[in-house]
Amino acid sequence: MSKLKEALEGGLFPIVMEIKPPKGIDLEGMLAPVKSLNGKVTAFGIPDNEDAKMKLSSLAAARLVKEAGGEPLLLMTCRDRNRLALESDLLGAGALGIENILALSGDFVTLGDHPDAKPVYDADSVQLLQIARGLMTGHDSAGLSLTGNPQFYLGAVLIPEADPVAPQLLKVKKKLEAGVEFFITAPMFTLEKFRQFRQSVGSQTVKFMACLKVPGASEVEEASLGQHRKVYSLPPAVVQELTGTDPEEVLRKGAALTGRLLKEIREQKLADGVYVKAQGRGDLMDQILKAAGA
Amino acid sequence: MIIAERKPFAEIKAAVAPFEKILIAGCGTCVAVCLVGGEKEVGLLASQLKLAFGQEGRQPKIGEITVERQCDREFIQPLSDTVADYDAVISTACGAGVQFLAELPEMKPVFPALNTTFIGVNEEAGYYTERCRACHQCYLGVTGGICPQTMCPKALLNGPCGGNIQGKCEVNPENACAWCEIYAKLEREGRLGQIEPILPLHPYGRSVTPGKVIHPAYKRRYVVHE
Repeated sequence: MSKLKEALEGGLFPIVMEIKPPKGIDLEGMLAPVKSLNGKVTAFGIPDNEDAKMKLSSLAAARLVKEAGGEPLLLMTCRDRNRLALESDLLGAGALGIENILALSGDFVTLGDHPDAKPVYDADSVQLLQIARGLMTGHDSAGLSLTGNPQFYLGAVLIPEADPVAPQLLKVKKKLEAGVEFFITAPMFTLEKFRQFRQSVGSQTVKFMACLKVPGASEVEEASLGQHRKVYSLPPAVVQELTGTDPEEVLRKGAALTGRLLKEIREQKLADGVYVKAQGRGDLMDQILKAAGA
Repeated sequence: MIIAERKPFAEIKAAVAPFEKILIAGCGTCVAVCLVGGEKEVGLLASQLKLAFGQEGRQPKIGEITVERQCDREFIQPLSDTVADYDAVISTACGAGVQFLAELPEMKPVFPALNTTFIGVNEEAGYYTERCRACHQCYLGVTGGICPQTMCPKALLNGPCGGNIQGKCEVNPENACAWCEIYAKLEREGRLGQIEPILPLHPYGRSVTPGKVIHPAYKRRYVVHE
């Protein structure tokens, strides 16, 4: 059974650290945090051609994480695969012992490093959840039977600061209907926002993981210039706190803030777990865990 | 209507450079309305070619003719005779017209002058925007007259992606998020219930190219067995 599921369902407040599949096949950087943090965190999130930039296959990376002793959370976007490829990769994940799946639409191709690639989106994230649920019950999206059903723990993304929020809630309801078992939020940077979010969801059987992010110096600078254009906000006080003299200092300050937020979120039960984006760097992850007392 | 853009002049000129007798065939329907392939634009292209070849000391014969529609055999059939005096044809029709013209018996090599872009509307003079992907399964009745296949770059069927910011599309912030628009429209009209059920995977099997439609009244004529 999925360790992430056990931890989330058991109220153990799992910490998931996001690692970065390389652009190439040098695995050392990607796997370093898996080796150094194993036992301290529950799982490792593995982005799927993040930001529409071509990287090593997230499915292959998930297996490599498993072989290195870590629990993978496989991010799967609808951008690069049609339904045949999504389904066969899901079966592949099942066969490789990868149970945790996060279903995403995926950033559009023109925003990434292969802007002339054909965007696929044969399924959307709701339909991908349905597809995965179907495979779990023994049939593919064409209604054909499987020999051996995979078991998955299915997650999806939720944007607490969505504006307007109503269309987003429509999709959240559909994801619930499609059988999602946990949500990961978009990043937030103040306890107040996590508190508001917790109040807005009330009591639900579905689990919520709060996303914490260590922003890079360029993102902090964009925010300081009022040019931050993301689905989450970087409030001025946070920007002020994170501003530093060099990029490394910005990251260190971000890790300190993330550690503090992690600690508070866990203590105040503002989420069921956290998903941490720390630039895929083991040293920052380590700093976060130490700051959080984890 | 079909919207198109003219190819760069250098590309058109290079395509017909090996020929001495060139006919430019215009189309008087969609591409005339969007100001790239009608009689006027045929005249303009002819002048440009004459000037450009003239500068190289060449004087190829360049003829002009514009038909009502190149996507209709009735209108292009006479061109079979016209092209006898030429050794190449430039078509300023959309891709459908170019191909239909090229299929004519006794036709000479045909070169497109346009890049066909989309099925769209005339917003204002010289300003056209896309509205339809010709996807074989129209959702407009369900989605409040706003097409999720066309107006959402990801063609999402069950609500917005996580990338929209204040109702603007992540792909091009100048555009509204189609799903935010769909939601707002149906909310105003009290029809939100229509988009609550999960829409199934789109039937892309219907879109296998080349498409074919036979009007029900003509099925016997074309010996279609159902």
